[in-house]
Formats: sequence, structure tokens, C-alpha cells
Amino acid sequence: MTPDRYTCEMFFRRLPDYLDRELTAEETEKMKEHLETCAVCLEEYTFEVALLEEVRTKLQPAVLPPGLSAKISAALRAADHE
Amino acid sequence: MVEQFEALLTPVLTQAYATARHLTRGDGDAAENLVQEAALRAFRAFHTFQGGTNFRAWFLRIVTNLYLEQYRRAKRAPVTVSVDETSDLHLFRSAKGAGLFEDPQADPARQVIGRLSQEQVTRALESLADEFRSVCSLYFVQEMSYLEISEVVGVPVGTVRSRLHRGRKMLQRQLWDAALEAGLVDRRQPA
Repeated sequence: MTPDRYTCEMFFRRLPDYLDRELTAEETEKMKEHLETCAVCLEEYTFEVALLEEVRTKLQPAVLPPGLSAKISAALRAADHE
Repeated sequence: MVEQFEALLTPVLTQAYATARHLTRGDGDAAENLVQEAALRAFRAFHTFQGGTNFRAWFLRIVTNLYLEQYRRAKRAPVTVSVDETSDLHLFRSAKGAGLFEDPQADPARQVIGRLSQEQVTRALESLADEFRSVCSLYFVQEMSYLEISEVVGVPVGTVRSRLHRGRKMLQRQLWDAALEAGLVDRRQPA
């Protein structure tokens, strides 16, 4: 049985899974309710969301080296004829 | 057969190369070889792939396994970051301690990470040990769910969650250290 409302400690423990949308619908709702009433946790949450976005932006997929696609294609065709 | 395989491979090739770069810690030649060898292995095993399922996860699993089998032993030892010494929300607390929240209009996450270069952030990720680096790369770059990551890495979802949690802590610490080193923030004690 889950409590009616989350404390800051409960919110904090679930924050990574909340950021990753890995909580159940019921847990997600309680996280949202907590955020509506707790400025401290809201500040943490806002920071973590921005951080996640920034890191994802900086880690954009590398550009495929020129020629790699053609090299793979040739190797596949050679393997197909083995 | 080749055409059918390539039709699935081509759309995920750039993503696979990105993961290979992270696994090989930015070694472009090794990443190229890894992707090429993985493509050949996947092609030879293509008859085992179930049509309609997640080809990207299937192929990335082959890339990851191949790396673990052939490349890992040859690479240098990772920078070891003690998770125990790193607090939860390390960056948040460090940013607080450095006074980045004093201006209510400030955006501390962007103030720190936004000013780091792509190379600095990539280096922070690449400094993590294999089991954390692979999971974090799939999470941050491929934006995979815990379940998808578990399919790629071949470990239970709970293990993915735990590795991701620890990997994030280590990554936050590395990012904060990079920001300190670059002189982007003051060297004050975390709050």
C-alpha cells in the first residue's frame, strides 16, 4: 500500500525514475502533486530536467565517417558470396 | 537478403557508430572497425532476427557484445570514480554551494553544462568504467528506456536502473570537475 502523499524523502528516492518516465501512473501522479506543493523539490527537479537536456544535447550522435557506409556495404556483399 | 538487411541497418548506423565511439572511448578507428565487424556478424546471424522486433536494440547488442569480447581488454584502464564519495544530485548541490542559484533568473544547469564543450562532456562520459559507460551512452544518446537498455546489454532491468543511477552520479561528478578545471565555476564546497 502506498501513502496518500509523498514526503520530500519519498520524492527524492523516486526522482531518477520519474525523470526517466519509469514510474507507474499512480506514482507519477503523486510526484506531480508533491511538486505542486514543494518549492525545494521543484528547484531540484527543474535543475535535473535542464541538466538531462543539456547533457543529451552535448552528446549528440557522432557524424558517420565518410566511406564507412560504403565499406560496410562492400563487406556485406562479399560475405553474401562466401 | 543483403538489401533487406541494409534497409534495417542504414537508419541505425549513425547511432551505432555513436555508441561504438563511446565504448571505445573516442577512438575513431576502433569504433569504425567495431561497427563494421558488428555489421558482418549481424548479417551472418540475420536469420535469427525476428522481423517486426527492435532491430536497433538487436544490432546495438551485437556491437556491445563484440566490444566486450574483442576490444575491452586492449583498452586502457578507466578513470575510477568512487561512487560512495559522490552525493546524490552532486551537480545540483555543488551548484548551490557555488552560489549559482542566488540569481532567481539564473539557469544553473545551462550555466555549467551549456558552457562546457561537446568534447568535455563526451570525455566525462568516456571516463566511466565499461558497465556504466555503455548504459549511460544508451540512455543519454540513444534515449532508450530501461527495458530497451536491458535488452541491449543483456542484464535485468533492475541492474540497468542501478548502473544508470551510479553512472549518473559519477558523470555529474566528472562534469562538475570539468567545469571547475575550465574555470566556469568557483571552487567552493558543495552545500
